[in-house]
Amino acid sequence: MKSLRRDPSSNSQAANVASKVFVRSTRSGKVQKIVRELYLRQDIPCSSKLCSICPSIAPPDRNGNIAPFVLSDQPAGTKAFPRGHYLVPDTNALMNGMDLFEHTGAFYDVIILQTVLEELRNLSLPLYNRLLALIKTDDKRFYLFFNEFRLETHVRRGADESINDRNDRAVRTVASWYSEHLKTSAAKKGKKAKSVPAIVVITNDKGNLEKARSENVTALSLSDYVSGLEDSERLLDMITEAQVRESKGPGRGELFYPEYYSMSKLQTGLRAGTLHQGVYNVSPYNYLESSVKVPAFDKALLILGRDNSNRAISGDIVAIEVLPKDQWKSPSTKLVDEEAVTRNDNPDSEETEAVVSDKERKALQDEVKKAHGKSSEGNPQPTAKVVGIIKRNWRQYVGHVDSNSTGSQETSGRRQQNVFVLPMDKKIPKIRLRTRQASSLLGERILVTIDSWPRDSRYPSGHFIRSLGELETKGAETEALLLEYDVQYKPFPKAVTDCLPKEGHDWKVPQSKEDKGWKGRRDLRHLQVCSIDPPGCQDIDDALHARPLPNGNFEVGVHIADVSHFVKPNNAMDLEASIRGTTVYLVDKRIDMLPHLLGTDLCSLKCDVERYAFSVLWEMTPNAEIVSSDFTKSVILSRQSYSYEQAQLKIDDKSDTTELTESMRQLLRFSKILRQKRYDAGALNLASPEVRIEADADEVGDPLNDVKTKAMLETNSLVEEFMLLANISVASKIYDSFSQTALLHLINQLSKKRNMELDVSSSGALASSLDRCVDPKNPFFNTLVRILATRCMTSAEYFVAGAHAEPEFRHYGLASPIYTHFTSPIRRYADLLVHRQLASAIGYEGEDGHAVIEGVATRGKLEDICRNINYRHRNAQFAGRASIEYYVGQALKARGEMEQKKNADADAGIKEEGYVMRVFENGVVVFVPRFGIEGVVRLEDFVLPGESASFSASERRDLAIHRTTEFDPEEYTLRVEEKGHPEKERSVQVELFQRVQVNVSSVKEEGRGAGKRRVRILILDASDK
Amino acid sequence: MSNPRQASSASQTPHLSPAELSYLYTSLSLPKGPIRPDGRSPTQFRPLTAETDILPGTNGSARIGFADGTQAIVGVKAEVEKTVLASDILQQDVENDLQAPSDRRDGAESTPSAAAGGHGSWVQMSIEIPGFRDDDALPVFLSEMMRESLVGSVTDAGKGRDTEMAGGLKGRLVINKRWHWRLYIDVLLLSQPLSYPLPLLSLTTHLALLSTKLPKLKSQGEEDPFFDDDWGVAEHLYPRPSPSASATSSQIRPPVTLLVISVGDNVIFDPNREEISVADAVLAISITRNSEGQGLKLLSIRTIDPPSRLTQPGVPNSENLSTMAATGNSDNAAAANPSAGQEEVPGVWRPRRGGIKRSVITELTRTVLKKGGVGEEVLEGLEGVEV
Repeated sequence: MKSLRRDPSSNSQAANVASKVFVRSTRSGKVQKIVRELYLRQDIPCSSKLCSICPSIAPPDRNGNIAPFVLSDQPAGTKAFPRGHYLVPDTNALMNGMDLFEHTGAFYDVIILQTVLEELRNLSLPLYNRLLALIKTDDKRFYLFFNEFRLETHVRRGADESINDRNDRAVRTVASWYSEHLKTSAAKKGKKAKSVPAIVVITNDKGNLEKARSENVTALSLSDYVSGLEDSERLLDMITEAQVRESKGPGRGELFYPEYYSMSKLQTGLRAGTLHQGVYNVSPYNYLESSVKVPAFDKALLILGRDNSNRAISGDIVAIEVLPKDQWKSPSTKLVDEEAVTRNDNPDSEETEAVVSDKERKALQDEVKKAHGKSSEGNPQPTAKVVGIIKRNWRQYVGHVDSNSTGSQETSGRRQQNVFVLPMDKKIPKIRLRTRQASSLLGERILVTIDSWPRDSRYPSGHFIRSLGELETKGAETEALLLEYDVQYKPFPKAVTDCLPKEGHDWKVPQSKEDKGWKGRRDLRHLQVCSIDPPGCQDIDDALHARPLPNGNFEVGVHIADVSHFVKPNNAMDLEASIRGTTVYLVDKRIDMLPHLLGTDLCSLKCDVERYAFSVLWEMTPNAEIVSSDFTKSVILSRQSYSYEQAQLKIDDKSDTTELTESMRQLLRFSKILRQKRYDAGALNLASPEVRIEADADEVGDPLNDVKTKAMLETNSLVEEFMLLANISVASKIYDSFSQTALLHLINQLSKKRNMELDVSSSGALASSLDRCVDPKNPFFNTLVRILATRCMTSAEYFVAGAHAEPEFRHYGLASPIYTHFTSPIRRYADLLVHRQLASAIGYEGEDGHAVIEGVATRGKLEDICRNINYRHRNAQFAGRASIEYYVGQALKARGEMEQKKNADADAGIKEEGYVMRVFENGVVVFVPRFGIEGVVRLEDFVLPGESASFSASERRDLAIHRTTEFDPEEYTLRVEEKGHPEKERSVQVELFQRVQVNVSSVKEEGRGAGKRRVRILILDASDK
Repeated sequence: MSNPRQASSASQTPHLSPAELSYLYTSLSLPKGPIRPDGRSPTQFRPLTAETDILPGTNGSARIGFADGTQAIVGVKAEVEKTVLASDILQQDVENDLQAPSDRRDGAESTPSAAAGGHGSWVQMSIEIPGFRDDDALPVFLSEMMRESLVGSVTDAGKGRDTEMAGGLKGRLVINKRWHWRLYIDVLLLSQPLSYPLPLLSLTTHLALLSTKLPKLKSQGEEDPFFDDDWGVAEHLYPRPSPSASATSSQIRPPVTLLVISVGDNVIFDPNREEISVADAVLAISITRNSEGQGLKLLSIRTIDPPSRLTQPGVPNSENLSTMAATGNSDNAAAANPSAGQEEVPGVWRPRRGGIKRSVITELTRTVLKKGGVGEEVLEGLEGVEV
């Protein structure tokens, strides 16, 4: 009987067939044995330009081309490898040193094994993606070698061999194969074997190193290899902290944190509903308090203290367990700042650490007292503890070295030492960093990453990536902002710029109407179109017109830049734009979504130039009732581009009766009617503080004069109103055509704010209850409430129509049943998608005759894009806001310096009006509308009546301990008084929404050396005048 | 209707004439030991070849081929399944304990609950025989017969041996109170059933189960099961003795079912088709090693409907009408019903009426179970197969 078993040892024919066997557990709980057959081949090239064999055997693609070889013929050498070397890292080396491999100073010509790549994917998806990106870039010369598919390098697992041992063996096998292969190839060329580069295996595994030695394979540990490079100290810092610790040996001291549950236990719990999963969110005002929103509870679950948060970091997806009801508490009424509480922690001394330091315990105990004290009427919220991490969302963090933590070892020079890094984001805990260059990092903005948070350490440990430059410098701070908000700011790669029209700036709308560019386009060049934008706007994406029709009705048109004409689906430019998602506006910088050429020229609807557009045309009755609407691709010629002020002047200028001005007047009239209709339908008039900074103002004057709150002109709302109308019309059109995949935009339900009696059941009810919130004494009160209400709303999100039921489509704030974004395709990717959908909905076939809808028609893909756009959109807003905040700080600082020059009186600051936005037990949050900023006012920063008006921060520091407060959580009032002086005249009482006089200045934090600058707000006078 | 499919018995009777049947019967029932057509001794098995792990996609597989050309392949697949109503049964069980602890009729048999002791239905067996539908009597009967012994074989726990197999195969399939493995044993007979395929299928199933592995469990206790994705660390369904343990025989193995016939006072093992067709009784005997790993244990004996019942009888000369015409005997009534209880005439075939003598059964069990007996021989032979 002939054996049916496939056994390579008994059958030489089967040598080129191997199989890969593994167990796959599916989401539904099935467990399958999977067998994949591997057909081993001998034509996978080594991809070294030195090789003379592989070019002849490498398989060509469909066009007969062989993939270009990657590895250099003159690889860089080091002292140890003067002839040059190729690197073969194992998985661990990549896990620990990905930042090194990404470094541009070293690590070229790297052979990445398929085995290693797959192993890395199982261990860490982000690292895997970074490695893939590295392999894709040409200049680092990373070659992905499919060793498992090549006959010579495929390794069969031995009988009792663990997977790790087998993979290590695979790495060594590849290394020895490569050196043999290159030697043979060199011999063929008649060269000496001497000229062959060394193949260096990088591994941290001791056993592997030993085996490599006995097998005559060159192998080095990552740190040994890096030590042999130039600039090794800087590079050594980039090795992951975990690995350094590991080599130091485990079992050091007590374990501070409870262990996480095992993955299977977590999953059992999550499925059974005893555990919950959600995003871990740290309170910006109290670093010991965080919340996790889970579907099972209406209110977010509170997590109090380090014990319960158990090494979770803001943004992680965690599994939590609800604590028993007697441990439920109300949310904190106190400001707790990590930097202040843990100022004196020493990064080196672990022994004295406890998870909950005494100070922290005290802060927490106060809380408990509070919760128990008013348990009768108080409303304790459910609390929970973190029992496991589903997914870490660690990223790279921008921060600076805490100068306190380096103090003791200042003189030790280049020795490795532990320092703390204070991340810019207050929600992120201090990061312990081991570095050899502590002294040179002081006073710099640096980029670090978290590697691990071991159970025996109070703080996470991380490693240094790079320095952004000196603190407070424009370059460093801007880059820090962009990094912190994950904005893609690198220049567009060549693949993207290749997608631009070849004519460059000379591109023009084709003269002849026979040209394919005119196909399906209407000629609207005769219309009196104009654009109205903020001054200095370069990326004009909308223009308008209105003209009377013979039947007494009006034709109104909104023309949007036809970006989808230039950005074809699924090419490199489209992909890049979809990743960037939106253009980001900083005070002095704009990070474009599309390359400059398109955004500010070819797509921009500049005046007196013919441009492609996507037009929405309505026929309206004089009462702004829409008779019909029409969508078409078109060619327009804008007659004028106005700024809001210019347009307003034109309209107001009674003597001006040109057709263009008349049409603007008509538009304005319509816009007022439309607006009123919208409010009648219950639309919200929500406010968000907007501050504009005109950075180009002259330098002699008061720098604060550049800071302007945005003025609302009638023309602003004119444009706004028609854009809304266009968006609504387009939304219903594409929803009709693509009910499953239309890209729409909705604002989620409003979450309730604690102290206001607002009716949130519908936007209409909210609008009227907002209107009722008027305080006759305080004209700004209504705006304040509106600002708060806007903040409470979960910001609007894009979604794919098929994913929601139709009643959920409503746009809350606009009181419109359906909404999308159509009008800004130059700066929002969502609009671009909507353009494509609309083009397809109206049957536009594109220049070459086939539909352009491909790529936007699949729901899954669209949902991915939506998620990314929503994320980018949010980040772009945050980045913009942070940029303004930074600029205001700088302006204050410049002013402070100027004042100082005039008279020696130190940091005088500027007097302004502020409003109390939140009240805590030991401080308040004040909003200064003039600058659009918000700041915390601590006890010491209350200027009590009868006090010397010295505002110096250093003098005031000690005041806090002499003060007591009376906090009324029901009335939201806080009274600050000096100990032993309870007289009313000597105390200050503030309440929520109260107007206060404040002194705003920019101070450098003291006691922290190079510490950062912050905006300091002093409450001068709380009497409401 | 002579459709062989309808026969639930050890059918596929060869078309032998009554004279041939009678000759065969006589040879096999010789008091001094039978003379078998192929010259084997009564306890001798036909030679076979075996191999395991032939189907990479299964959890375990085996193939056995007899020298006569019959071949079978068995593949075993395991699937994780939620134990339904485990809590209800537990609850019920507790109540039972409270109400009538002494009311248990068969203390040894009753499993405390499906969750703890496993359930017989977790082993599913399907047999495919060429020319038969899956709901035909033969495959159904065969699979039930083999499954019964597999599920029923419960090794006594204790005596310092690892308790993993304490509950037998069903117990081994329990992951925790809420989860268990379901085992699909697919038996495929590759050739026409030249002889009654039971021994072939049973031996193949035995080997396949021995080679069966289950993914290694990573979760603990009552958690939802979570498995190691490395097949290399998967564990055998029938755990292997650790290399330190000396005797290989101490391994717990699945039972095997042997086919035995009795002809006269003789007991004949591994009968071929012709031998079955004249058997007085056909028996399926399931045996396994007992817990000490030394002796053997009889799990079950089942009788199978002997096909000889259906054969046409031979007619003695005395009753042959064609020869009787000369004698002029007019007693035709007897001739009309030749099978009517008449004296057995040597050399004339009579269909066997079934039934088996006590002494034959005793002899049979002794031959199987005795030290160095047939059972041991078979099991040792199987243990010799490298799994």
